[in-house]
Amino acid sequence: MTTDADAREQLIDLAADFYDQFAAGRIPELELPTRTKSNIEYDPESGVWVYGDRTSTRSANSVRGARKLLKAAYTIEFLADQLEEDRSSTLRELYYLSESWDNTEAQFSDQDESNDLVEDLEIVTGVTREDFHMRPEESGATLMGPLKLREQTRRGERDIHCQEDVGEGGYQIPNNPDMIEFLDHDIDFALAVETGGMRDRLVENGFDEAYNCLVIHLKGQPARATRRITKRVHDELDVPILVFADGDPWSYRIYGSVAYGSIKSAHLSKYLATPEARYVGIQPADIVEYDLPSDPLSDSDVNALESELEDPRFQTDYWEEQIELQLEIGKKSEQQSLASRGLDFVTETYLPERLDDMGVL
Amino acid sequence: MTSFQSSLGDEEGIAEELAESQREISIAEFFEKNKHMLGFDSGARGLVTAVKEAVDNALDATEEAGILPDVYVEIEEAGDYYRLVIEDNGPGITKEQLPKVFGKLLYGSRFHKREQSRGQQGIGISAAVLYSQLTSGQPAKITSRPKGQAKAQYFELIIDTDTNEPEIKVDEETSWDRPHGTRIELEMEANMRARNQLHDYIKHTAVVNPHARIELREPGLDEPMKSERATDDLPAETTEIRPHPHGVELGALIKMLEATESYSVSGFLQEEFTRVGKKTAESVIDNFRDVYYGRELAWSPPAAHEDRDVEAAIEAAVANKGAAATAAFAEGVAGTVAGNAHLTRSELASIVGTVADDVEADTGRTFGSTVRENAVEAAWSAITGVGAGDEDAADRGGDADGSEGSGDADGSDAHEEGAALVPDVYALVDDATSTRKDDVTVQAMADALARRFANLDGDAFRISHGDLETLVADAAGFVTEQHDATFGDTARGNVVDALWARAGTVPDDPPKVAVIAADRDAAADLLDAMRVTDILAPPTDCLAPITAELVEAGLRKEYDADFYAAATRDAEVHGGDPFIVEAGIAYGGDIPAEGSVEVLRFANRVPLVYQRGACATTDVIKSIGWRNYGLDQPGGSGTPNGPAVISVHVASTNVPFTSESKDALANVPAIEDEIELAVREAARELKSYLNKRRSMQQRREKQDVLGRILPEMADKVSEVTGRDRPDIGGALARIMNNVSVEREVNGETVTLHVENYSDTSERLDVTDIVSVEPRDPSAGTVVEMDGEWFLQWKPELAAGDERRLTYTIDGDADFELSVGGVETEKLTVNA
Repeated sequence: MTTDADAREQLIDLAADFYDQFAAGRIPELELPTRTKSNIEYDPESGVWVYGDRTSTRSANSVRGARKLLKAAYTIEFLADQLEEDRSSTLRELYYLSESWDNTEAQFSDQDESNDLVEDLEIVTGVTREDFHMRPEESGATLMGPLKLREQTRRGERDIHCQEDVGEGGYQIPNNPDMIEFLDHDIDFALAVETGGMRDRLVENGFDEAYNCLVIHLKGQPARATRRITKRVHDELDVPILVFADGDPWSYRIYGSVAYGSIKSAHLSKYLATPEARYVGIQPADIVEYDLPSDPLSDSDVNALESELEDPRFQTDYWEEQIELQLEIGKKSEQQSLASRGLDFVTETYLPERLDDMGVL
Repeated sequence: MTSFQSSLGDEEGIAEELAESQREISIAEFFEKNKHMLGFDSGARGLVTAVKEAVDNALDATEEAGILPDVYVEIEEAGDYYRLVIEDNGPGITKEQLPKVFGKLLYGSRFHKREQSRGQQGIGISAAVLYSQLTSGQPAKITSRPKGQAKAQYFELIIDTDTNEPEIKVDEETSWDRPHGTRIELEMEANMRARNQLHDYIKHTAVVNPHARIELREPGLDEPMKSERATDDLPAETTEIRPHPHGVELGALIKMLEATESYSVSGFLQEEFTRVGKKTAESVIDNFRDVYYGRELAWSPPAAHEDRDVEAAIEAAVANKGAAATAAFAEGVAGTVAGNAHLTRSELASIVGTVADDVEADTGRTFGSTVRENAVEAAWSAITGVGAGDEDAADRGGDADGSEGSGDADGSDAHEEGAALVPDVYALVDDATSTRKDDVTVQAMADALARRFANLDGDAFRISHGDLETLVADAAGFVTEQHDATFGDTARGNVVDALWARAGTVPDDPPKVAVIAADRDAAADLLDAMRVTDILAPPTDCLAPITAELVEAGLRKEYDADFYAAATRDAEVHGGDPFIVEAGIAYGGDIPAEGSVEVLRFANRVPLVYQRGACATTDVIKSIGWRNYGLDQPGGSGTPNGPAVISVHVASTNVPFTSESKDALANVPAIEDEIELAVREAARELKSYLNKRRSMQQRREKQDVLGRILPEMADKVSEVTGRDRPDIGGALARIMNNVSVEREVNGETVTLHVENYSDTSERLDVTDIVSVEPRDPSAGTVVEMDGEWFLQWKPELAAGDERRLTYTIDGDADFELSVGGVETEKLTVNA
């Protein structure tokens, strides 16, 4: 873990790099890995997907590049000050805060720009955003299951059991899950669920209790904190991780980012991705097998599936088979479509069957 | 009509009566009634035209005498009239010539010359005199002092409109302060409503005559409008050229034929025309023979399997020459004939002649002309199957054909005549027509043609192109009718072309010049021949283009613009007259940005002021897509908008105007094409200038933004790192690919770091003005002026190079650095 002082040091070193470039009469520049799908490579050592060798340069050579670097300088100053004062802020706050800077050229034009810049700084300094004390606006993802942990909050330590000490909403994952210490657990496996509806169904049906399952709510495309805690659960508690999502190309990407890392944060894959995570469903094969109610694939679905066939993260026999099957049947189904067989179908039939197939139960 | 007829008997002498009222109209009288044709249709316009004619004359006269023109124009109010005074420093006009030059219409030195000049017909200035006299009743007052004469001559004259002769009112010696020159003073009814056109005319004249000094005074001007000389080079002297064969008309040709001292056509052509040497004359004469005599159709010699035998025929035709000589002769002729794919009777005659000469030399036997003729006759008969010994058949055929179609019914006979020609004709027709023609039609056509050829007068198959067309059309008509097949115009044309191409030019000598001169048709044939012959374009030393350089200088002189471009095309020919087109463009600066660009039109260095819309120049400029060249053009066509002046100059020995008032160029495609090319050439330069300007502007904007952002970034990083603000000049210069000059003062040593970050090598001019005396400068020069020292270096730096310029000073000093040699956009100075 990086200390605040280390993080600050790294930021100031970066500013010093700019300074030295100026002083030497050179054009200030930042070299970053190219953040595109084609520059993602499989790292066999860690089993995750990381950035390749291709880099692009943010240089003050152009007006655009110079503006970016000016904003970087301002952001460095802001982050360094924040660390010094031991404060934290959200990404959105950073965006609004730039409005207060004396220099209009340094202000961000939208939040994507400030988010990207923070990611750039993460990559160059090797310090995570969490260690800069930057958090996303809302995480909201939750845990429910037989796990006891200790969280360092600003108001002191809290010991929490994720079934007994929480309401039906479950335990809220903090922005920096590295502040958590696992104390004890009784988990047989963790199930990362895409949708809130399905998560509530599992909790209502007592699935977590019945199967000693840690239900992790992904809440769509999972936040970094959610992915980080998933990885920690797997690595530290040695429990299998299973992803349960809709049966459409967008959900496969959710699985992809849990298991292999996302394109935007491939620099953190080793820290966030759980390559051992497996996909429970809904599989295209399930749509056929359980004759689930389905929607036809839209054009964008087909494009997404085809683009996944090219995606290095999905270059496995399993995924190629499933994606090609889906393209063939031309259908997609949501998790909740299982309700067509009754509300208990998922907890009493589907999941037990699938988990049995996968050798988890 | 009938009424005259009926009354003819009653009234005698009606023709005489009518004749009484018919009389000669003097040219001056004609002008009086047709003022508009010469540009005097209104008082406003009359004044401009009078100025124009007088100034054109003045410029022509001075240039011809090799004098740099100095023209003075003054217009003043004189009661109800305007008085116009034009003075030049020309060579003056002799006492004898003067009245005619100014007082007689159509009197001039240039009308008969093929040479570029402003005026041509000799109407202009005398028309002005006439106009003045008609409107004000005042005579023209003319002073002229020829070079070298002590006194000037003063005349007052009017034109007698009945006789077109000058009538001199006053003729006296006078003194004049100009050493030589001419002054004309005219009073006329006029107004200054066309002031703008007048100013334009003077200004534009100055643009195309950068070697002239022109001054205009008129009541509306507080200050005289002066245009100074931009060059001391007179336009190149022009030489008169003889007419070009492509440029004469029939009447002129007949006149030339009558007047020439040459006896032969070849001599006439070489003597009287430009660009005609012996070879070209030969080509013209060959073409003339074709038109005048027609060609002889050529036929292929009989093949071995045919029963016609050239050798046997000749042997039979030659008598009393001994067996050996006869055989050698016959064999020689037959052998040579067989070696030709096809030949005409004249070619055969020439072969027979050559072989006969050879045999004569070998055997000592004489082959007289009768023998040779007989041999030709016999051989030709063998080749073509008609002529000697077959006369009965030919006669029969002729009769049959004469009796309207019955000949064709009489198949066997008709088929006989010209039968030997059929294979040749068939091959040609088959080749010349489309493959869709079926064989029967082609065969029928070949038969019909061969039959008609056989009936041509004489046995040489001599036929003119026109007759050949008629014959083919006739044959085609027959085929169409008899065989219900179509043989259209294209097919007929192709057949004619094929036959004509196969036919040979006759060896006959062309008629002598006197014969042609007397025979209008022959002269027309000669003209046709001249037109179809390829002849080199006329020489261009009869033209005096302004040259691109001076077109630009002229624009530069009259328009304060940011950019100038000019282009001069190579000479081209239109109707035998060479012409050159030049174009210039001025852009930006003080030229008004609103509205259309200004189009300056010139012909032979004369500005065209009126009838812009009718001018070919305007049409061409409107047709160009100016958006491609960076000018605004609403709708993508029409006159472009923007701060630009486009000038087009057409120089020619005969500029085609739309009318006598010479206001607009006629739409001659050859000239329009050249105008377009010239304008586009200049416009391309404009485009690259505008592109460069745009990129400089972008560079400036970039520099502005970066010049703001980078210091702020440098401030921020020094703040974060807690260090002093870094110097960012080098980085900035490098970003802009600029040349950076930075001063460093270290105690007594002053160093100027010069670095070239651009990708081209730069030659700089660095001047440092120092308030104390500098010592030990590294190279460079030092000049003291009013207590300041000017240090100057002229370093040349390759791309990426750097240089240190140093000197030492005592104590404090003020510096002022200026750097030249690079655009300011590409320079970062920190000193």
